[in-house]
Amino acid sequence: MRPLLELARDKLKRRKVIAVMSGKGGVGKSVVASLLALSIRGSALIDLDLSGMSIPKLFGVSGKLHEVGREGVEPIVVGGLKLFSLGGIVGDRYVVLPGYGQAGAVEALIAFAKLGDADTVIVDMPPGMGEELLALGRIASYVPVVVTTPSKASYKVVKQLVDYLIEVGRKPRAFILNMAYVECGGARIYPFGRGDEARRLGENVGARVYEIPIDPSLEDYVGRLHEYRGPVAEAVRDVARGL
Amino acid sequence: MHEWSLALSLVQTLDRWALEHGVEIKRVVLSVPSPAQLDVSVLNEAFDALKRESRLERAKLEVKVRSPRYRCRACGYEFGQEEVDPQIRRIAGEYGEEYPLHLIPELLPTFVKCPKCGSHDIEAELSIKIEEVETT
Ligand SMILES: Nc1ncnc2c1ncn2[C@@H]1O[C@H](COP(=O)(O)OP(=O)(O)O)[C@@H](O)[C@H]1O
Ligand SMILES: [Mg+2]
Ligand SMILES: [Zn+2]
Repeated sequence: MRPLLELARDKLKRRKVIAVMSGKGGVGKSVVASLLALSIRGSALIDLDLSGMSIPKLFGVSGKLHEVGREGVEPIVVGGLKLFSLGGIVGDRYVVLPGYGQAGAVEALIAFAKLGDADTVIVDMPPGMGEELLALGRIASYVPVVVTTPSKASYKVVKQLVDYLIEVGRKPRAFILNMAYVECGGARIYPFGRGDEARRLGENVGARVYEIPIDPSLEDYVGRLHEYRGPVAEAVRDVARGL
Repeated sequence: MHEWSLALSLVQTLDRWALEHGVEIKRVVLSVPSPAQLDVSVLNEAFDALKRESRLERAKLEVKVRSPRYRCRACGYEFGQEEVDPQIRRIAGEYGEEYPLHLIPELLPTFVKCPKCGSHDIEAELSIKIEEVETT
């Protein structure tokens, strides 16, 4: 028996677990996960992108370590949001791990996280379909939120993830076309096309489909995302309401 | 301090398990890998404090600290704890109390290299396991 796996399961059992994922990297999973967590009152954010660890970077707390007390790992709190990341355990350092190491890290991070009264847990997933996805599946029955861009380059990879999710009985609740358009003098320009294939994929599995605009000013908020109030946050609030 | 949260996970997990099976727990053997550098006396103290009013109330905790065998998946070299220890000491020195392997021993490949070829691709049994449970 592995006590940490059991404890991790127990931790998430009575909470709503929303996993933000994509087959693809760089499509905005971490941004969406963070803004979702900021817009759902009383939620906590767990960074399971063990090598990427974008969450501390987005919130400007890279290198800051979690305090560890008698009852477990204290969250890093930014803008009222509770964050948990492996970055808060290893500091500002690369993480390279074989599958069993990733599994152990996911289980321990969740098992020891002091989630307190957070009734919703947002999980920021790594790209692809590796150990973290399997590990989360062992621990919790999560609700997937799938992020893609309208680009054809993303479609095939995301389709494979969606096929897998359907097969294991975890239907995506929301399907997000991120960086879909730019607002330009009241008109919407779709630089990557309308993403019809991706949209149909989302609709076919019964997910709500959302478009999120490109906001160039978002870059200025990397490191202080909790202060961002622009159109991407607004669009993510819509997603949150539908969850 | 982390010994307390580990003990808590042990008590919670086993208490629920004992309840489901309608038993009381008399003895628990916990196996921990030595790179975690857990303080066994603190673990015992925590266990004894946390077990009160649970189905582990009369349980005795036995902690086995094991030295894993290591194998490099890149060059195949097999080695023991004595070749890992100098590297562990260095990491522990860098982090002090917040030593990452204390919390998550499975992170070892991130910090330790194969002594022959320098690869981080190291295989070992590093999990914290309940090895034995004796019930009444
Ligand atoms: N809607 C958007 N508008 C502008 N920039 C965005 C948007 N979504 C994401 N980005 C930027 O794209 C990059 C990748 O986003 P990130 O969330 O890290 O992707 P992922 O987690 O999928 O790898 C980041 O620099 C982020 O700031
Ligand atoms: Mg990311
Ligand atoms: Zn080697």
